[in-house]
Amino acid sequence: MALKGLDIFKLSPKTNCKECGCPTCMAFCMKVAQGALPLEKCPHFSAESLAILGEATAPPMKTVEFGAGENAYKLGGETVLFRHEKTLVSRNLFAVDLCTGLENDVIDAKIAEMAKVDYERIGERMHVEVLHLNYAGNGADKYVSLVKKAVAAGRALVLGCTDAEVAKAALAECKGMAPILNGANKDNWEAMNAAAKEAGAILGVQGETIEESYEVISKLEAAGNKNLVVDVTGADIKNTYRNAVLLRRTALKDGDRSCGYPSIVNLNKLAHGDMHLQTALASLFTVKYGSILIMEEFRYAEALALCGLRQNIYTDPQKPMKVTPGIYPMNGAGPDDPCMTTVDFALTYFLVSGELERSKVPVNLIITDASGMSVLTAWAAGKFSASTIQKGFAELGVEEKIRNRTLIIPGKVAVLKGEIAEKLPDWNVVVGTREAVEITKYLKDGEHVKAAEAAAKTKSKETVKAVETQEEGPVDYSKLVYPEVKIIPQEVSYKHRDPSSKKFVVIGERIHCISPVIREAMANFDPEPILKRAAEQIAAGATYLDVNIGPAEKNGPELMTWAVRTLQENFNNVPLALDTANKKAIEAGIRVYNRTNGKPIINSADAGSRIDNINLAAANDAIVVALCSADGIAKDNEERMAHCQTMLDRALALGMDADDLWFDPLFLVVKGMQDKQMDVLHAIRSIADQGLKTTGGLSNNSNGAPKALRPIMDSALVAMAMMQGLTSAIVNPCDLRLMETIRTCDIFKNNELYSDSYLDI
Amino acid sequence: MAFAPKTQVFGSRINEVTIGVGDKSTVIGGVNVLPFYNFDEQQTIQPKIGAEISDLWPESFPAPGIASFYAGCTGMAEMAKRAETLEGVSFLCLAFEGADPNGLNKSVADCVAQAKEVAAAVEMPLVIMGCKNVEKDAELFSAMAEALQSKNVLILSAREENYKTVGASVALAYGHKVGAESAVDLNLAKQLNVIMTQLGVKPESMVMNVGSAAAGYGFEYLSSTLDRVRATALEQGDEMLQMPIVTPVSSETWSVKESMLPESEAPEWGCAEERGIEMEITTASACLAGGSDAVILAHPESIAAIHKMISALM
Repeated sequence: MALKGLDIFKLSPKTNCKECGCPTCMAFCMKVAQGALPLEKCPHFSAESLAILGEATAPPMKTVEFGAGENAYKLGGETVLFRHEKTLVSRNLFAVDLCTGLENDVIDAKIAEMAKVDYERIGERMHVEVLHLNYAGNGADKYVSLVKKAVAAGRALVLGCTDAEVAKAALAECKGMAPILNGANKDNWEAMNAAAKEAGAILGVQGETIEESYEVISKLEAAGNKNLVVDVTGADIKNTYRNAVLLRRTALKDGDRSCGYPSIVNLNKLAHGDMHLQTALASLFTVKYGSILIMEEFRYAEALALCGLRQNIYTDPQKPMKVTPGIYPMNGAGPDDPCMTTVDFALTYFLVSGELERSKVPVNLIITDASGMSVLTAWAAGKFSASTIQKGFAELGVEEKIRNRTLIIPGKVAVLKGEIAEKLPDWNVVVGTREAVEITKYLKDGEHVKAAEAAAKTKSKETVKAVETQEEGPVDYSKLVYPEVKIIPQEVSYKHRDPSSKKFVVIGERIHCISPVIREAMANFDPEPILKRAAEQIAAGATYLDVNIGPAEKNGPELMTWAVRTLQENFNNVPLALDTANKKAIEAGIRVYNRTNGKPIINSADAGSRIDNINLAAANDAIVVALCSADGIAKDNEERMAHCQTMLDRALALGMDADDLWFDPLFLVVKGMQDKQMDVLHAIRSIADQGLKTTGGLSNNSNGAPKALRPIMDSALVAMAMMQGLTSAIVNPCDLRLMETIRTCDIFKNNELYSDSYLDI
Repeated sequence: MAFAPKTQVFGSRINEVTIGVGDKSTVIGGVNVLPFYNFDEQQTIQPKIGAEISDLWPESFPAPGIASFYAGCTGMAEMAKRAETLEGVSFLCLAFEGADPNGLNKSVADCVAQAKEVAAAVEMPLVIMGCKNVEKDAELFSAMAEALQSKNVLILSAREENYKTVGASVALAYGHKVGAESAVDLNLAKQLNVIMTQLGVKPESMVMNVGSAAAGYGFEYLSSTLDRVRATALEQGDEMLQMPIVTPVSSETWSVKESMLPESEAPEWGCAEERGIEMEITTASACLAGGSDAVILAHPESIAAIHKMISALM
C-alpha cells in the first residue's frame, strides 16, 4: 500500500528548513505522497527512515510509460479495484493484430482499415492506439518488414515475439518508440531481458498460467528489470480471466508488488475469427483489468461501443464528464437557426441533445464552460451566469458565426434572463423549459419563436445598455446607491460574544438566495423576510449568520452592503459570513462591517479558481472558509490535505493568522457517497491535528433523506465530527436536536462549564 | 518465489430465484463470488439470457437480422416459439411497449390475450415487461398475474410509485416473481427491497433491476451501482440486496444513435446492424461483469456471442 503523507511526515526531520523548496516539511511530505516530488529532494531524512520509506512509498501497481511522441501512453498505476472506490486512472488501449503469417496485401489492407477509425467523443480521441505484431516463426526478414510497415502507420507497438535474435532485429527498427517486447517466458527470459533492455523496450512476460508468469517476473525483478507488462492470455478464456483478475487483485488487495504490472489480453488468440465474441470479451476486460486488448479488427462497429464503454468506466467518479464548449449544430442547423444554451455537464448535454434530435428542429446548441456542473448547481456556484455565457459566446465567436439572434436559456435559470439580455444586447433571450423532456414539444409548438418576437418588441421600446460589472473596473464603494437601512424593533437580540471563545461556532445557513422567499426579498431590498430568518436563527443560538446573495453580478456591492448593514444594525452587530462569488460584493460588505462580535467570514476560497479569495481575506483581515478542493471534490484525503496545505501556504505567505482559515473538508451526502463519510471525518482529524480550525456544510450529509431522519443524522455526524476536532459548522440552527447535540458536545469537550441548566442558557 | 493467490469466497450468497415451471424452469442468482470468479469457487448456476420479444414486432423490428430470424411469424406466440430454439436462451421476455398511453395505447385486455397465447404455445419461463408508464403498468401487471396463474412468471417491474399494487397482485395474490426497479441508485434499490418485504413479498420471490444504460451513455453510474450492490450483498452480507439482478439490455441499446443512424447518413461508420449488435454485446458483457445475473437481449447474434462468453467463463 502506498504511504500517506502523514505517515511520511512522522519520519521526516520536521525542521521546516525549506531546502527542498517547500515551505514546510508537511507540505513536502504531502507532495511526496502524491508522487509530485521524489523523497531524495530532502537531504535530511535519516538512513533508517529512508529504508522504511523506500519500500513503502513504491505504488502497489507500477505505471509503465509505453510508446513515444503522440503515441505515448501510461499503463497501470491503478490504486483501486473498482472505480467507485476512487477512480481508475489509465484507460485500456485497443490494439489490432498483425502477423507475419498474413500476405503483404492483407497486412496493408488491415493497416488502412485500422486507420479509418479515428474520431472524437466528449473531448477524447478514439482510435486504434496500438498495433500488435505477431511473429509466426517464418524468418526475421518478414518480421522486420512487418515492423517497418507498422512504424510507418504511426502507432505504439507491441512486438509479439519469443525469439530473442529476431526480436533484436525488430527492435532496431523501432528505436526510441518505447515498444513492448512481448515474449519473455520461463525458457528465454534472460536473452529477452537483454534484448529489451538494450533497446529501451518494455518487456512482456508470458506464461500458461499466472503462476508460471509470476516465476518469470520474480527472476526479471531479481535481474533488476521492473519495466514489465504481463501477457495474461492463457490456454482459454476462463484461464485468461482468472489470470487477469488474480494479477490485479493480488497487487492491489494483497499488496504483492510483483503482480503490480499492466496486462495484455490477446482476444484474437482466444476467439479468432469471431468478432462478436471478441467484442464481448473486450467489454469484459475493459471492466476487469485488461490494459492492452489485442483484437483481430477494430471497425467503427466495435469502436463506437467499446470506446464509449471505456470512456464511461474511466471517468473519475468525483469529476463529472464534461463536454467541450462549442457550437453544436443539431438537425443540420446553420447560421440562421436559433440558439439554445446549457451547461457542459455530459449527462445534461446528452439529455438535451437527445431531445433536440428527437424534435428534428434545427437548433444550434451552445455549450459554455460550467465546470461540469448541472444547471442549478452551476448557477448557484456562479459557474453558469450572464458573465460566463457572455464570455463563452465571445470565446466561441458565436456572434460572428450565427446570424439568428434567438437564445433559449434553461427554464431553471429563468432569473438570468434580464442579466443575459444586458450582457448580450443584440439577442432575444427566451426562457426555455425546465426539464429536457419538455423540449421537443416546446420547439415543435414554436414557443421559442413567439417568445423571441415578444422579446424583440419589448427591446425596441427601451434602449438596453450594458451595465457596469465587477470585471469592468473598480467600484467606488462610497457612491453605492441602495435603499435606506430600516431599523425594525426585534424581540431577540444578539448577545455579545467573545471572538476568542473556544465554543463551537454555529453559522446559520438560512439566509440563502436559493430559498425563493429570500431570493425575492433580495431582489426587492425587502428587509422583513431576511430579518425574520435572522431573528429565528439568533434565537436558536446561531453564532454567525451566513448571508448568501447568489452570484449577484449586477448589483452585488449594493446588495451586500445593504444586507450587512440591515442585519448588523438590527441585531447588535451580529457577526456574518459573506457568501457570494462576487468579490466586489464581499469587499463592499466588509467596508461597512462591524467587528465587535467577530471578524467577517468570507465564504469561500478553494485551492483552485477561487484561491484569490484568500488574498481578499488577507487584505481585509477577514476569516475565510477554505474548501479542501480545487475544481471538483477531492478524490481522497491525500488530495484534501494537499489542498489544505496549498491554501495554508498562501495565507501564511500573505501574513494571515492560521486561525483565520477555517478549513472545510466538504461534507458529502450519505445517499450516494456513504463509503466516503469516514474519509471526511479522518480529514477533520488530520486538519485539527495541525492545530487548524474547521467548518463546513454539515447537513449536506442528509440531503435527500426523509425530513424526520435529517436531524438524527446531522446530530450523530456533528458529534462524531466534533470528536474529530470540528470547530464550526454551517447548519440550520433551528434544528433543535442538532443544537442540543452541539451544546452537549461542548460540555464534554470542556468548552463550557456544566450546570443542570446548560441547555437553557 | 511461488505465487500463492488468496481466494475471496463470501459467507453470503445471492438468492436463488426460480422462474417458470416444469423441465424448462430456470434459476437466476445463487452465486457467492464476484462475477465469473470461478477460480475463487466454482459456481454451478450460470448467468442467464432472456430473449426479448416486443409487441411492436413484427411491424417494426430494430434490425434486419431480427426480422429475418422471425420471418414468417405473425404474432408474439409464433415468435416466442421460434425464440425458444435459440441456443443459450433460458427465458422469454415479452415487452408490451405498445401499452404506452403516449404511444399505441393498447388495451390491457389485448396485451393479456397475447401473453396467454404465448404461455399456451411455449414451455420456457416468461418474463413480462411493461411500457414504463407506472399507472398503466400497475394495471397491466395485475391483469397479467391473474391471467398467467400457475406459470410462475417474472414481472418486470415494480417501482417506488407502484410497488404496492404490483407487489400485492403479482407476488402475494398469485405467487409469481416480481422485479424491483430503481434507477441506478444504490440506496433506493435497497429501500425498495425493504418496503417490498415489509409488504409481505418473500425475498426469494424477488429480483432487482437496478437500472439500465447503453455503453457510452452514463454507463459508469450503472457499472458502479452493480459493483456496489454486489459488494454490499456479499461482503457486508446485506440481505436486502441479495436479490439477483436482471438487466434489460436490448431496450436501451437499440435506440442510441450508434445503433440507429443509417449507413447512408454515416457511410464511414459502416453497417448499422453490425453497430447495433456490437453495442448490445458490449453493454450486456459489461453488465454481466458487474454482477447482472441475467440479461435480456434481442438480436440472435448478440445472444449467441454472450452465450459463448458465459459458457467459456463457467
